Amino acid sequence: MKMFRLDARRIDWLITAALALATIVWLLAVEGRQGIGRDEGQYFRAGERYWGWFEELGTDIRHGELRRPFTASVIDRYWSDNAPDHPVIMKTLYGLSWRAFHRCHCTGPTRGLHPIPVAGRHITLPLFARESTAFRFPAIVFAALLVAMVYRFARGWLSRAPAAAAAVLTLAQPHYFFHAPIACFDAPITTMAFAVGFAYWKSLRSPRWGIAAGILFGIALGVKHNAWLMPFFLVAHYLWMRRGDLRARRFPRPPLAFVSMLVLGPVIFYAHWPWLWNAPVARTRAYVNRHLQHEHYNFEFLGLNWNNPPTTTARKLIRATAPFVETGFTVPVTTLVLAAVGAAVLIRRRRGQPIVDGGPAEDAEPGADEPSWLRPGADVDRAPGAFLLAQTLGPLAVLAVPSTPIFGGVKHFMTAMPYLAVMAGVGVARLLPVLAALVPPTRARLTHLAPAALAVLVCMPAVVETRRSHPDGLSHYNLLAGGFAGGASLGMNRQFWGYSVLPMLDDINRDAPANRAMYWHDVIHDAVSMYKRDGRLDMGVGDTGFGEEALRRSQVGILFYEKHWAIYEGWFWDSYGTTKPFMVRAREGVPLVTMYRRDQP
Amino acid sequence: MEPVPSRSTTRAGLAALVVVSVLALVETASALIAPHRAPTDDDWRAAAREIRAGFHPGDLIVAAPAWADPILRVHLGDLIPVDVAGRMDDERFARVWEVSQRGARADAARRGSVAAERRFGALTVRRIERPPAVVGYDFVARWTEAHVSRRGPGAGTVVACPLSGDRMQCPDIGYNFVRRQIVEVDTRLRVALFAQPVGGAAVVIEYPAVRLGRRLAVATGLADVWRRKEAHGTVDLRVVVDGAADVTLTTGNDDGWAMHAIDTSARAGQVAAVRFEITSRAPQARHFALAAEARE
Repeated sequence: MKMFRLDARRIDWLITAALALATIVWLLAVEGRQGIGRDEGQYFRAGERYWGWFEELGTDIRHGELRRPFTASVIDRYWSDNAPDHPVIMKTLYGLSWRAFHRCHCTGPTRGLHPIPVAGRHITLPLFARESTAFRFPAIVFAALLVAMVYRFARGWLSRAPAAAAAVLTLAQPHYFFHAPIACFDAPITTMAFAVGFAYWKSLRSPRWGIAAGILFGIALGVKHNAWLMPFFLVAHYLWMRRGDLRARRFPRPPLAFVSMLVLGPVIFYAHWPWLWNAPVARTRAYVNRHLQHEHYNFEFLGLNWNNPPTTTARKLIRATAPFVETGFTVPVTTLVLAAVGAAVLIRRRRGQPIVDGGPAEDAEPGADEPSWLRPGADVDRAPGAFLLAQTLGPLAVLAVPSTPIFGGVKHFMTAMPYLAVMAGVGVARLLPVLAALVPPTRARLTHLAPAALAVLVCMPAVVETRRSHPDGLSHYNLLAGGFAGGASLGMNRQFWGYSVLPMLDDINRDAPANRAMYWHDVIHDAVSMYKRDGRLDMGVGDTGFGEEALRRSQVGILFYEKHWAIYEGWFWDSYGTTKPFMVRAREGVPLVTMYRRDQP
Repeated sequence: MEPVPSRSTTRAGLAALVVVSVLALVETASALIAPHRAPTDDDWRAAAREIRAGFHPGDLIVAAPAWADPILRVHLGDLIPVDVAGRMDDERFARVWEVSQRGARADAARRGSVAAERRFGALTVRRIERPPAVVGYDFVARWTEAHVSRRGPGAGTVVACPLSGDRMQCPDIGYNFVRRQIVEVDTRLRVALFAQPVGGAAVVIEYPAVRLGRRLAVATGLADVWRRKEAHGTVDLRVVVDGAADVTLTTGNDDGWAMHAIDTSARAGQVAAVRFEITSRAPQARHFALAAEARE
């Protein structure tokens, strides 16, 4: 009988799987406490509607009408939802996951809340009690993939403990953790940015990864428009890596990865999105323009409400600091310091040297004297420091341009965060020999424990801080800022898109019959519907609509604290005749949602 | 042979290890302890009881930091009417109750001396007493005494705008009215006179008989965050105090709730007409808000 042996490779795969599984377990364990934002409510709706197209496709195939589902009218009936805003890979996965894994109560009282007709009870694998969890599951899997990839990538440079620390520090960031389990695109595009970067890095010495980079880039294009920026950061690294060519006044050969991205990216992008099929040029233009001309939504930063590009020099300077200040105030401080140590290590590193003592050397491959577009990093040092710095600082630099909208906060440059975590892993690796040298020779056995001990120590604050932040990760700020309260005092954004009402639903349910005329403020109707489908909101709770007139029609209403919503509170005072809220939902004393009730004593 | 690290590299590594280790422990401890430092409901209830016991009509109650204001109003909102919550400024209040946490101080409580101070868990209640600004005439509260008109350029046509329901409505132009309302300026709520400027004309608000003090406190601002996003024109407010002052104040998007003091000491104690003229070269989407008090 052959014995199963745990060799180094298998141990790494086991750790990879364990990290991914732990990510899924952690996120599934807590996602139910996190409410549904405006965007997520729309993506639930769109995802289910896209599923409707597949349902119709199946029906038409059964009836032998193979062309019908591909006609413009049928495609647009389903796929024009949330178009041209966002491509559809994630929304389609959300819809498919919902269809496969929800526990169907679909023919009961919630039947009318579905965006497509429910023909009958769905036969599913009912993994999840709530429909919203079934929608969210693919996002959670993407987060797990990211954590696993960070470990695999870091393992190329570092020993196990620092690589595992990098993986944990990727997930254990309150703002990333907020985005990780929800059915949106910001965490998935972070995964894809890392996947594309990883493939590009491998492609520098392996042609098959060059092809993979193109495929992954195509998928990234289908996840979110951040993908447009990825080539710029990769090109910046490539030119730096091949700066010898430039010095020799020789244009560096375009590598296979870029050729592949250029060819496969658009093909996959076009193929994945049925909405484009019938008018590819016009609709691609509409999609691109949607984002190039995106409105500046309101966003609080350093006490100011930003909803336009700044015009004065002083405001431009303040605005330019946004991604750096937000990173400095949201990423756990220990992670930031470790990343700074890692950055110093990478900057000091000499060409051809390993990143840390004992790691693999970054020498040119033997015999690779000639540059080749198939393996363009084979004859040179691949400049890992420049790679990490470009992938980290690139997204931040784009958001530092004052004319760029900042309404998403950290999520707009979140693709930088896994690379920042890898840099922190490099920092951990730098400290390991220092720690090992402190262990007395008589306690040599402790030396073996030192890496794990240090990894646990540096991950502990990030994990504890992330746990503390949940489910209000957007309101959370780090030790430097002073937590929830410090962030509020600094005038940092507290939340957006109305997700933070979830813990108040029980109070709202109890407030019948006043809740029949409920004013939901920034909670989109799709989110209200999903709370009902999830069984967390009574079916009788009403929704008077949006805006001043809807508020005046209500008996009870809520208000999310964001600077630009101030007048809504004035309308409550005026319409309800009091400045006294019925209740306030707060975190660590910081108000998030205010509830007013008409004619309260 | 591996290079031997220099002594400075070793020291730097050791220093980094110490910093990271201590920081990790401090950050972990802080994350565990900080949630318990927030004021509890019991703290708020006890603080509210203390304030209610000593509250006099006309007192001001404020939270420090200001972001705690909604929670303050849950407990004491019945003592904070809309006019006080949307006050022009804090000067008219002789007694200010400050409910403070985390060592913060409210702007409204900076002037004056602390007459009483007591802690309730994570909250500190202070009563600040100071000489108040004596208000002889409140232009917002007495807005129905004003004569509103729309006047063409130079000595052009004058159109009267009579009181109609909750506003003084000028004819022909729906948005050309003046009324007292809650407005949002600089993302804070104020009770003010709301008046949109009109192209090629002045919106005039004239108070015929104002008992003047030594100064006129005037606050101006552009209301509505969406209108500030949409438009960039400025609004001019000409303030004419019969025989005492003729001042023009210009307000733009970034000026917030701008406070101005106009010297009226030449006619202090006398009754005079005060005229506000509102004009703008780019009046579209300019929701002008104005408050004023004649003060001793």
